[in-house]
Amino acid sequence: MLRQLGPFIVASVPIIILLLIVLVLIFATGFANLGSSFWGSDWNPPKAWGIAVFVVGSFVTAIPALFLAMAIGLGLAIASTVYLPRWATRILDPFVDLLAGIPSVVYGIWGYLLVAPYFGKVLNPWVYAHFSFIPGFGGRAPISDGLGLPISIFLLTLMALPITTLLIRDSLRSLPRELWESGLGMGATRWEATRRIAIPYGSRGILSAGFLGFGRAFGETVAVAMVLNVMAAYPVNFYSATGTMASQMFLNLDAAFGSSSWLAALSYMALVLLAISLAVNLIGRRLVARVVSYEVAGL
Amino acid sequence: MANALGGAKETLGEELLYDRSARTRWRLGFDKWIGRLLPLLFIVAILPILDLVYYVASNALPTLTWTILTSTNPYAPDALGVPIISTAEMMTAATLVAVVLGLFGGVATAEFLSDRTAAIVRTSANMLVGTPSVVLGYMGYFLFCVRFGWGLTFIAGAFTLAFFMTPYIFRIADLAFTSIPRHIREAALGSGARPYQYVVRVGAPIAFPQILNGVFLAMAIGVGETAPIVLTTTASKVLPTGAFSPVSFLTATIWENFSQPSGSPEIALAFQAALLVVIVVVGLNVIVRIISARYQRRLEGLFQ
Amino acid sequence: MSGTLPDAGGPVISVQHLSVKARARAILDDINLDFGRSSLTAVIGPSGCGKTTFVRTLNRMAELTPGLTVEGSVLYLGQNIYDTQVNPVMVRRRIGMVFQRPTVFPTSVFENAAFGLRLIHEDEDTIDKRVTEGLQQAGLWEEVKDDLDRAALSLSGGQQQRLCIARALSVQPKVILLDEPCSALDPAATQRVEATMEFLKQNYVLILVTHNVGQAARVSDRIAVLSSGRLIEVGATADVLERPQQAFTEQFITGRFT
Repeated sequence: MLRQLGPFIVASVPIIILLLIVLVLIFATGFANLGSSFWGSDWNPPKAWGIAVFVVGSFVTAIPALFLAMAIGLGLAIASTVYLPRWATRILDPFVDLLAGIPSVVYGIWGYLLVAPYFGKVLNPWVYAHFSFIPGFGGRAPISDGLGLPISIFLLTLMALPITTLLIRDSLRSLPRELWESGLGMGATRWEATRRIAIPYGSRGILSAGFLGFGRAFGETVAVAMVLNVMAAYPVNFYSATGTMASQMFLNLDAAFGSSSWLAALSYMALVLLAISLAVNLIGRRLVARVVSYEVAGL
Repeated sequence: MANALGGAKETLGEELLYDRSARTRWRLGFDKWIGRLLPLLFIVAILPILDLVYYVASNALPTLTWTILTSTNPYAPDALGVPIISTAEMMTAATLVAVVLGLFGGVATAEFLSDRTAAIVRTSANMLVGTPSVVLGYMGYFLFCVRFGWGLTFIAGAFTLAFFMTPYIFRIADLAFTSIPRHIREAALGSGARPYQYVVRVGAPIAFPQILNGVFLAMAIGVGETAPIVLTTTASKVLPTGAFSPVSFLTATIWENFSQPSGSPEIALAFQAALLVVIVVVGLNVIVRIISARYQRRLEGLFQ
Repeated sequence: MSGTLPDAGGPVISVQHLSVKARARAILDDINLDFGRSSLTAVIGPSGCGKTTFVRTLNRMAELTPGLTVEGSVLYLGQNIYDTQVNPVMVRRRIGMVFQRPTVFPTSVFENAAFGLRLIHEDEDTIDKRVTEGLQQAGLWEEVKDDLDRAALSLSGGQQQRLCIARALSVQPKVILLDEPCSALDPAATQRVEATMEFLKQNYVLILVTHNVGQAARVSDRIAVLSSGRLIEVGATADVLERPQQAFTEQFITGRFT
């Protein structure tokens, strides 16, 4: 153990940074007691510090994005591992990886200036006109600027998609060739062999894709800050705005300057966000052995 | 099920290969059509990329001039020289710090730690990658800007960015050394080399391309980050003169100008900054791909 | 008993002028061979002679290997399985296959044996009956009947291989291809699988690929010898082993060639 001490100190850089983050945030709260309002729904500085709106807002944006990214990711992964010829996947797969490389602020400017007006003028009114009978899709009419939940979910889906696709692809590819062939040898179609053998075989990896994709969407900051029209309110319906923890923290730090309770409230929020993100990541990474392609892709 | 589909069930022991039962037609048809439809999902991935790149380029290029790229005039609304040079300087500083922290950490993890300790360290590196960048920005702000009293300056931004990039370099350095074939390590140690001699003389030359890759990858991720930079620096119109002077960054330029009125020089500046960032990020990713394909072949050669 | 064949004459599988190429290289060259009812034919030959490729052409598994082209025809009860009208899925349902290594799926013993039946949406009663029959015929029933829900991967290698045989039997094929089914098993497990094969050959057409002459001698009725993609010799097991017509066969069975 003593012989390992020197290398361990050098190697523990990630542990030190992680501890540093936690300790700095804890001290940044000044151990302030924000009273009973902290877990409430009313965020009204400097009177009320209810962060529940932002916790809920983070889930409300991240969960639909996760479902979309999982569904599309599963489809893309099946298409490229089962159905498409090698040469086609060589051309197509890098596009998905490229989605991971686009900086979120660039997604944001594209979303804010080009996609959001389209959502506001075309897509949201159309959904409102035809699907307002579904609970959550009726009520207050969508605003024409298009900022709000739908565009946020759209951008978060694109940002989570490379993670889910890559991990699901890896899970499906991990199926031993003999197992695949014996499925087909039983008279299964490719789809049946995928659904009944490859997906159950790779289920841990697919579940892990879900956790890590969720983590990505849950912590996303700048793009959401640009297109969600962040506010401290629960969403009233599908088209409305809300706030996420990450975007609120990002936009609100300037305003909090000089107010110790305000900074404390934001620091507590940072700790909540960090705790959820780390938990989700820990579970996601525990589900699968080391995924080399992941590390190489920087995910 | 079969009846719901309105057809006879396949019979077992059937001797004919030309099975035309409804159930069989459904099974084969489903497979055929799902195989045709699923690839169409690639449109979901490819269309946004092409649209985004086209949109940014078409808004950036018409007004882009050489003067904009090089001008450092603080009074011109359309000068990108300061963010470009500042970004290069910030990236250089952050990369240097991150390489020192990540490279040695990764190598030590791969070569000198027991499996159990290494697993803990690796998990924490993965946790760090999963930490939202805004949380890291808060850490940087409270520690560097406030606690250390550095203010919103070059050094605060560079260190925050370095902490952000470190785990990526760390993981790749670790991976590069753990993926060296076992027999090469054993041959080196078996012929009397000390572990650090193995690392420097044998391991490093083999692992170098992939580590370089990791550095490029971390740079690609770092140059696209916005939240940690915006939280720890302040927009500067002039070039930084030292570690403790205000600084600018390309992504911060986008953030500051994205809601300017359309047609203004500021919004054009945002698009031009976005185009540059995309070019740098995609360029670095292409380099990473090329190196990693070559490295893979080289590594496979070592196994023979 | 289920799986009993009708008495109509003619071979079950008739291989006619079968050639397989991997790009320009010939892997199988003009093979002609019939497989009759209720028999076990062992296909033997040195490694690389094309015997695995040969059985894989019999249920169109060969086409899963990229770059292989198959010429000639394989008739199953008079129908060419390579006819453009025939879907490989239908062929494989009727000509089952067991692989070198056990390939159980990561589910329960029962679900493994029921796999092929689930695909064609058999009702639960039929599935129960066929799974039981399959496990009985494969000689596994006594060992697993108390806990059909246990994970298939918790079985021993020999049990897993017999489960794969039961899985192939459950859809009531007429032909079962066995591609070196004992190559990953220890001698005791090999003995159990061989006993299973001896039992099954009364009712099925079994085609066994093996590089083990002793195994061919123990279980087969007939031996086909392949060398470099060509069919060298075919005949009753005793004849081929005791009075080989070709020098190559003699060399191979006496172990001078592996």
